[in-house]
Amino acid sequence: MGSAALSGAGLVRAANIKTRPWPGNRDDVHCGIIGYGPQGREITATLARVPGATVSAICDTYAPMLRRAQRDVPEATRHEDYREILDNPDIQAVIVATPTHLHRDIVLDALEAGKNVYCEAPMASSIDDAKAIARAARDVPEQIFQVGQIYRSNPQHRSVFQFMRSGAIGKPAMARGQWHAKESWRRASPNAERVRELNWRLDPELTTGLIGEAALLQMDVAYWVLGELPARVQGFGQIMGWNDGREIADTIQTIFEFPSGLHLIFDATLVSSYEEAYEVYMGSESTIVFRDRGKAWMFKEVDSLMLGWEVYARKDRFYKETGIALLANATQLDAQNLDPTEDDPNVETPMWYAMQEFMDNHAFGPYPPAANWERGLEAAAVAITANQAIVEGTAKEIDPLLYTLD
Amino acid sequence: MQTVRLALNAMATRFELVMHGEDAVLLRAAGEEALSEIRRLDERLSFYNPNSEVSHINDNASKKPVPVTPDLYSLLKMASELSDKTDGAFDVTVGPLMRCWGFVHGSGTWPEESVRKEALQKTGMNQVQLDEFECSVRFRQDGMAIDLGAIGKGYAIEEAASLLREYGGMSALLHGGTSTMIAIGSPSYDEDGWTIGVADPLDESHVLTSTAICDEALSVSAPHGKAFQKGDHIWGHVIDPRVGYPVQGAAVAAVIHSSATVCDAVSTALLAMNRTEMDHVAQKFDDMRILCAYPDGNELELVSNGFNSTDSTIPDDKKNG
Repeated sequence: MGSAALSGAGLVRAANIKTRPWPGNRDDVHCGIIGYGPQGREITATLARVPGATVSAICDTYAPMLRRAQRDVPEATRHEDYREILDNPDIQAVIVATPTHLHRDIVLDALEAGKNVYCEAPMASSIDDAKAIARAARDVPEQIFQVGQIYRSNPQHRSVFQFMRSGAIGKPAMARGQWHAKESWRRASPNAERVRELNWRLDPELTTGLIGEAALLQMDVAYWVLGELPARVQGFGQIMGWNDGREIADTIQTIFEFPSGLHLIFDATLVSSYEEAYEVYMGSESTIVFRDRGKAWMFKEVDSLMLGWEVYARKDRFYKETGIALLANATQLDAQNLDPTEDDPNVETPMWYAMQEFMDNHAFGPYPPAANWERGLEAAAVAITANQAIVEGTAKEIDPLLYTLD
Repeated sequence: MQTVRLALNAMATRFELVMHGEDAVLLRAAGEEALSEIRRLDERLSFYNPNSEVSHINDNASKKPVPVTPDLYSLLKMASELSDKTDGAFDVTVGPLMRCWGFVHGSGTWPEESVRKEALQKTGMNQVQLDEFECSVRFRQDGMAIDLGAIGKGYAIEEAASLLREYGGMSALLHGGTSTMIAIGSPSYDEDGWTIGVADPLDESHVLTSTAICDEALSVSAPHGKAFQKGDHIWGHVIDPRVGYPVQGAAVAAVIHSSATVCDAVSTALLAMNRTEMDHVAQKFDDMRILCAYPDGNELELVSNGFNSTDSTIPDDKKNG
């Protein structure tokens, strides 16, 4: 071992699975990844850089995914049956990154087996499943249950959240959001049975559609910063570009009505990537825009008051508008002699912060994570209802009973 | 037979993918997954994105060992081996030199000699400590920087192509910025492979030579592009990490090999090498074919090392090897 390894003793990471024999560093949280598709791989790569985490086991039902797992994390054990991971007493935490409709059985079994669980969002694709997961998580408060609504753990979002809650936008007028991409959403495999399994997002029986599988994280930020959940949703859906035999809409529009009277318009499409993803909160004093997974800018009305820090803030041009960049921990950056108007070089991805929160909870918890079962149940229930409104082309009430446990 | 074309902007260039197969819907699905792998790698490997894994290394590795993902560790290990095999002509620690020559955010300027010497002293893969046990990276001195610009594209298309191969049932060509490419199969039964033209660096409309590749990769490097003039000489954006000056070797180098990552790195290294060094490198890699063009007055002298031209414009008396 080199001197670097010794001096880095406090920084032992999941990466040590490369050569360190099982069970690895005793202090690390040993994690099992269930579902090794793109999301499972992303989480695994992130955990390699999060202090105190070791990916020790990976499960996928499809052999090529396990071959990829072997290449990516050679020291992790590989399994086709997730129960083998649950039966391993050395695994403390499991990350569930399977298709949404498969979450219920795995999460319930994992909690039953005493594991701490990180469950990808949406938490479930039916209200029944969402409630079953929520109930199981609620009933074991001594175990950690965190949902993949990752922006809740992101310092950048938290900072802008506080700023908005302090009334920075004045009287709210309305909100708008979009998720745009040009991609078919289809997945390919040489194996016909596998093609059906892989394309669960396009299966009307299984999917929560674009509003659930693509827009949920952005919608979750809306519920958070607005401090309320929508009471009603109007939906529209069309197949505009991908006439490949699919039955679910490739383009949607929704209007969410909140109890305060505020309306949020959200649209999503797989046909055009124009402007990609963002959310806008418009108010009488200013408008705040979130984009690029956590960056935010404020556009002030000309008659609104000058803010004390405004002169020092970084300004970016957006066509004819000038946005004031809202950067997390700008004052700390200043204290470290880093320019608060530049992007912080030490910023990690939202996924990294979510995983760090999950790991910290093992060390200092258990406490309810920012994205706990309640947030997961609420976001899933709203998404499922909105998807029904889109499929039917109607308006739907979002009854609070949908996300209330008995 | 159906054809699907996809494109992606990443790594400051345009990637294009052409696929032939039976089912356009499935071809597109496979292609989208392959391109999204390139996008994912771009986010992690970019020298310019302040939040990339590489930027984290550059910001912190002189202070402490920086843990990295296993695949980036493997790539750095490979970069280190390629530095050895090219006797240092390829080196990913060229970041400080790129900065001092003004090629990071501009088109280059002549640096002060003391600045250049200092940057050169902070260059060298032997000053990077790769700890396999901890899967971490540490710089032995302050101010070092890794720039995967000469290997990242090759690595990304190699990873993307491995996803395409899992699906099978297709022939495909994937390129990044037309300089690094991988061919899967052949576009039709009666062709030896995908025919690729290597452009004349002095006249893009003139094709120096063309060759067919099948289930292998090709990378073409040239120092032109970002460049500046001093005296009567054009100084290009590829720096020889051994001496700290813009390269003075081949004016264009094309390399064919089974690995796109290797092709990308070696074609860059060849720009710093003379003919003797080129012959020496060619012997170190199995099944590598090389074509280099060396400036010879106002002409280019083409030197081939196993490079078969299907439609050669190389005059016979200039052919070698």
